[in-house]
Amino acid sequence: MFKSKISKTALAAGLMAFSSMSFAGDAAFNGIGKTIDEKAIAPWAISVHFDGDGLPAGKGSVAQGEPIYQAKCAMCHGEFGEGAKGYPKMLGETVEQIHALAAKDEDTVGVRGINSLWGHAPTLYDYIRRAMPFFAPQSLGNDEAYATTCYVLYIAEIIKDDKTVCDASVLKATKMPSQDNFYTDPRPDIKNARCMNDCMKEAPVVKEMAVVGVGKDASSGKTAADH
Amino acid sequence: MSEKNITMPVSADEQVNSNQTRRSFLRKSVAVAGGAVIAAAAAGRASAGAQVTEPLAIPPTNKILGRGVVSVPYGLPSKYEAHVVRRNVEWLTPDTIASISFTPLQDLEGIITPNGLHFERYHGGAVDIDPSTHRLVVHGLVDKPMIFTIEDLKRFPQKAAFWFLECPANGAMEWRGVQMDSLQFTHGMISCSEWIGVSLLDLMKAVGVKKEATWFYGEGADGAALQRSVPLPGAKDQFGKPLPEFDTNEIYKDVIVAYAQNGEALRPENGYPIRLIVPGCEANLSVKYLRRIKFVDKPLVTYQETRHYTDGMPDGRFRQYTLVNEANSVVTFPCPDKKMSGKGSYEIRGLAWTGRGKVKAVDVSVDGGKTWKEAKLLDPVFSKCLTRFTLPWEWDGKEALVMSRVTDETGYVQPTLRQLREQRGSNSIYHKNSIQTWKVLPNGEVHNVQIENL
Repeated sequence: MFKSKISKTALAAGLMAFSSMSFAGDAAFNGIGKTIDEKAIAPWAISVHFDGDGLPAGKGSVAQGEPIYQAKCAMCHGEFGEGAKGYPKMLGETVEQIHALAAKDEDTVGVRGINSLWGHAPTLYDYIRRAMPFFAPQSLGNDEAYATTCYVLYIAEIIKDDKTVCDASVLKATKMPSQDNFYTDPRPDIKNARCMNDCMKEAPVVKEMAVVGVGKDASSGKTAADH
Repeated sequence: MSEKNITMPVSADEQVNSNQTRRSFLRKSVAVAGGAVIAAAAAGRASAGAQVTEPLAIPPTNKILGRGVVSVPYGLPSKYEAHVVRRNVEWLTPDTIASISFTPLQDLEGIITPNGLHFERYHGGAVDIDPSTHRLVVHGLVDKPMIFTIEDLKRFPQKAAFWFLECPANGAMEWRGVQMDSLQFTHGMISCSEWIGVSLLDLMKAVGVKKEATWFYGEGADGAALQRSVPLPGAKDQFGKPLPEFDTNEIYKDVIVAYAQNGEALRPENGYPIRLIVPGCEANLSVKYLRRIKFVDKPLVTYQETRHYTDGMPDGRFRQYTLVNEANSVVTFPCPDKKMSGKGSYEIRGLAWTGRGKVKAVDVSVDGGKTWKEAKLLDPVFSKCLTRFTLPWEWDGKEALVMSRVTDETGYVQPTLRQLREQRGSNSIYHKNSIQTWKVLPNGEVHNVQIENL
């Protein structure tokens, strides 16, 4: 097709120049995907921050929440929020009781409730609207979610007045008992040494009482760890 | 393992006449093959001196034709491997929808977990998502919010690496005392894969993340719609306190949106069609069925960060954002699920890992922690990836207390259970990365024990 060696070389040089230009290198990949308007994202943007950012308009009362809770929540969390069938309590031990149990290294896992381990009311709303009831997540409307949150806060003895109507401002103003009972990870918190010889002065004290193994009945164990 | 098993693979010209040759042959087998051969070798030693004189039977498979190609279009393990499965513990969770299953580490070799054996952790069950309709939205503190199809994501430069995923509850049942007499149940909330996808950094460039963004969170398209906050440089907690430097400056750099795992598309159990992978961190950060990433200037402090994945301390307070899985290791042979068969030569084998980089060394003790010997690390040794270690062991047939202890590249040495309890009590559920002890009995049985004074 090409008449001379020169034109072939010129073409090759041209192709090389062209191809080196078309490799993107470290530049951002452009033109992939579409831009989207925040209004179009709104149905998915259901996250609520601890400080109430993201709470929607709407409201619901303790009284309106009671029938929803009894119909859709009580079978797992108990009629009075006491927990059932291994599902979490709404009303657990208080923060003070948790502190006392922890100091004695007694169990604090199975006795936690909204009243002792949940830092902010707005994120309780977030979770109820997002993932509850367990068998039908995202089935509660904004008002129903406010009412259910309000009732849960009431049976967890955080909201004391049964006439309370919950909305964004009420949830933002509701201080949870455990709000200041959290702190950020300080690890690494343990310093072990890489000892190789004469690492133990006494004979090892060996504890054994395993109950569950492969091939054994995995359902025969005792306490459930709280997930 | 019976004697029969060793007669099968030995062909006529490999028949051995003296004990010495026989032993060297068996040692060679141990070096190249797995646990089954170890057991067979031990059985051979138990009858040392007994020479094989029975003429060998012709294997029946020599006399038939086998299956044709694509008779199993997607291959399955041998029917003789049917015991190698994920298992759950029924009493651990009230249902199987918000629950966990365990990887059978005792039956796996190397560092890669086959996709069908990757541990499962669901907060609202596994769902089947049509990739043609699935979308990923990236928005928040960005110049231009964007939406991507799965095909779009696959056009971005690929990032692939071998990383472990581990539930922070791995070992949780053992805080208060010995409970699970099985490696699968003490350590099986970990798996390791090659993950392939798009770097978060490339997505950040595409949407133009603003300087004010100090956190991002991912959210799933499943019933749990699980969301977790991940720190970026400058991240502070809700009290205004900065997160640890490693967490803010290192974690996000490795993050990918993964669409493939060990060569194939993600499995539904692992988040098909896309999931976040936040390497080195507790696996719930690696949100499955990912539908949305938002860049923000504060954490959510959502359910997972206040009620759930927080660690109770002896002073009654709770640690938050305990993101990194610190260095951990376990001996995978011997273990309660894989017993010894007679005294003699064995190879102790195990796995080590750390969320802070690479494993630097693993030491093994067979005397309950009095003396330790450095094990050999098998290649490859990758960052935030399972690392395999081995150490030859001549077992005298007496009781032994076998354990491993990892040191990672930061110099962190895996703690003892006593050290963990002294610092954190017995109520913290998560991040129990202490040294595991297996007690080997003279009859070859192996049991889970804890050494109180180590």
